[in-house]
Amino acid sequence: MPFTLESMEEIASLHGEPDWLRKRRRSSFDAFERLPMPSRIDEEWRRTDVSGLDPAQYSTLEHLNGQKLVLPSTLPPGVILKPLRQAAQDHPELVEPRLFSLVHADRDRFSALHAAFFTGGTFLYVPDGVVINQPVIGQHFSHEGGTSVLPHTLIIAGKGARFDYLDEYIAEHDDEAGYRSGSTEIFLGDGAQVGYVAIQKWGRNVWHFADQRAELKKDSTLRLFNVTLGGKFSKTRIEASLVGQGADAELKAIYFASGEQFFDFHTLQDHQVGNTRSDLLFKGALQDRARTVYAGLIRIEKGAAHSDAYQANRNLVLSDHAKATSIPMLEIDNNDVRCTHGATVGPVDPISMFYLQSRGIPEATARRMIVQGFFGQVLERIPFEHARALVEAELEARLG
Amino acid sequence: MATVPKVDVGTDYKEKYGFFVPEDFVFKAKRGLNPEIVKEISWMKKEPEWMLKFRLRSLEIFRKKPMPKWGADLSVIDFENIFYYLKASDRQSKTWEDLPPDIKATYDRLGVPEAERKFLAGVSAQYESEVVYHSLQESLTKKGVIFTDTDSALRDYPELFKEYFGTVIPPADNKFSALNSAVWSGGSFIYVPKGVRVEVPLQAYFRINAENMGQFERTLIICDEGSFVHYIEGCTAPIYTTDSLHSAVVEIIVKRNARCRYTTIQNWSTNVFNLVTKRALAYGDATMEWVDGNLGSQITMKYPSVYLMEPGAKGDVLSVAFAGKGQHQDAGGKMIHVAPNTTSTITSKSISKGGGRTSYRGHIKMYPDAKNSKSFVKCDALLLDDESRSDTYPYNDVDAENVTLGHEATVSKVSDEQLFYLMSRGITRSEAETMIVNGFIEPFTKELPLEYAVELNRLIQLEMEGSVG
Repeated sequence: MPFTLESMEEIASLHGEPDWLRKRRRSSFDAFERLPMPSRIDEEWRRTDVSGLDPAQYSTLEHLNGQKLVLPSTLPPGVILKPLRQAAQDHPELVEPRLFSLVHADRDRFSALHAAFFTGGTFLYVPDGVVINQPVIGQHFSHEGGTSVLPHTLIIAGKGARFDYLDEYIAEHDDEAGYRSGSTEIFLGDGAQVGYVAIQKWGRNVWHFADQRAELKKDSTLRLFNVTLGGKFSKTRIEASLVGQGADAELKAIYFASGEQFFDFHTLQDHQVGNTRSDLLFKGALQDRARTVYAGLIRIEKGAAHSDAYQANRNLVLSDHAKATSIPMLEIDNNDVRCTHGATVGPVDPISMFYLQSRGIPEATARRMIVQGFFGQVLERIPFEHARALVEAELEARLG
Repeated sequence: MATVPKVDVGTDYKEKYGFFVPEDFVFKAKRGLNPEIVKEISWMKKEPEWMLKFRLRSLEIFRKKPMPKWGADLSVIDFENIFYYLKASDRQSKTWEDLPPDIKATYDRLGVPEAERKFLAGVSAQYESEVVYHSLQESLTKKGVIFTDTDSALRDYPELFKEYFGTVIPPADNKFSALNSAVWSGGSFIYVPKGVRVEVPLQAYFRINAENMGQFERTLIICDEGSFVHYIEGCTAPIYTTDSLHSAVVEIIVKRNARCRYTTIQNWSTNVFNLVTKRALAYGDATMEWVDGNLGSQITMKYPSVYLMEPGAKGDVLSVAFAGKGQHQDAGGKMIHVAPNTTSTITSKSISKGGGRTSYRGHIKMYPDAKNSKSFVKCDALLLDDESRSDTYPYNDVDAENVTLGHEATVSKVSDEQLFYLMSRGITRSEAETMIVNGFIEPFTKELPLEYAVELNRLIQLEMEGSVG
């Protein structure tokens, strides 16, 4: 099934999607047809080479029936948790005004492809004042190589709602090739508190594109944690719009790139109103011939006085041939703010190595301990225990 | 919170600095840019054939290159409405007395004679497009130091000139280096022989003084092995109503164990577009230091860079930018680490007020061979009111093993605590703000020769005097 208008219509009719969604897919498809492949002339893609990618190669879609949801044992009344396409039919009043309103379909060719052909995905709605004590888990599997897996997550937190959510992207075979996108939109109502973790562990030969974007209303708190491990190419945008006073976004990520992997991260802390806070920390380790690009922007809009923003990117380079690029940017339009950022790229500290080895620890173990220590500090910020244990185990296995 | 009065800086700029002397030109090329104009410039200067070819080739490149899509808004520049060459006086003056009276009058306002009376070795002052006043202390000549204008250097030292000219910044580097290469005129040429230390700073004052006139000076500095030189360029320009373009190219070669410091105080009037390419090559254990202050102009785009070519080379950029109403200072620095064991630092201080915008834009690149290199970048921005804006765009590319790279930036306002403390000691608000701003740029001023530091502090004071409070 190629990426054509016909196959798009087929997806839509297969599930009896409502007209508005069909139209939305249609206009996304038009954007996909219209937009050129990004090239190195575009600032965002200067260091990110997609010339070797032809999505049409992977146009078989997986997951036409949604994905596996791990439900907490009991869900409080009023909570809606179901496949996104089902929700589009059952709850248009919730889904229609929000779907693809944060993650724009016409941002680039890959976003358009995702919005036109998304298949699996989860919809979670937590009404005002409702608290879910156990994390909600969405697992997105790929079963075979050579395919596309395009899940989309839409999360709505009502006023004062409190819950944790985990998106897990899992490959059955580590060497599979394919095209993957995993995008997420999170709406936080006044005073909502949401923990969101995304763990990307696709196979080592896939192309992965993800847009994760949240909108934070008054006094809401988001703790987002992204883990990137898989893919030969992975481009992830993580963006938070602080639109209500008192909003607080914590954006943390770790990545571990080895072999020939290429990871690209693009972040935005958009302080649209004042008295808002954002705290970003991206930590990555690079091994072998891996390459990473981090480009992040803090934007403080004119009226956003008393904003407090922090942005840091730390790269630990473990081999001679790994390459890290770090571009932390600021655009500050208000003087009454606190705004700091920093970036480092460096090797394992030889003094720490010397110390550990002088205590009789073999070199390989010492190195491993230093990498663990490097990640350890940020792992503590994973918002809930289940995800923390998962990430720790995963890192353990990969550090080898 | 009490409302903070707006800091109003630079409203009396015109009275204090905005002067101009009537034009009196020997030759003035036609407006606009085409091969004929370029040929005419080259013919007027009696240049060798290779230079004419170089200019024509550069013009071709300039035409082909697109305008940069990043940085400041340059769409208002009308390349066809600019004079590309002026020659104010057709001979080089040997002494101050020989200068035409109107030019002297201009320099009197700038305080050049006084500076010279003090202790300055050579004054090579650029009036309009060409260096017309030139004095070198005999001791420099004895040491074999060449300090002349670039046109004379092409005539008098053709071999030395040809060996280095255009080797650091080729015409095709960017659109504005191509433009400069096509129509360049004036600038300074310095050659410091092996092991010679020039103990007093060499200076060139220059001014733009004709409406719609571009200045395309071209500076070439060669520090031979183990030598040292400190070159200072400072400029103020009178205010005009139509836009003026300044697009210089500065090439510096610092050979083994040599050290070069290049200090700029840029204070063009606020209608000037200042688009400058500055680059240095630093060889084994050499040190290159850019001290770069950007106060004036409407738009400045300038990123002094150092290519660290051999082990042990060291690069430094110390940059201050001040943007007032309608100004955009897009400045920064570039450090390109090519060889192992090289080090670099960039320190940037920027101040925005009255709706001005400062942007730090920098690039650190560590090529695969640049093992064991280190680089550190620090940017501090001060926003004086809520209309102003500050941006930071640092690009850090690391392709080498065992290198350390750090970047830090902060953006802040004049802190209420500092103000409160100073005012509780009986200091007025505007005085206190001036002190805080002067303190903020102190790391920069302390690197300047005394008279420049005094001038800069006075300028800041002056610009801060307009403060209400």
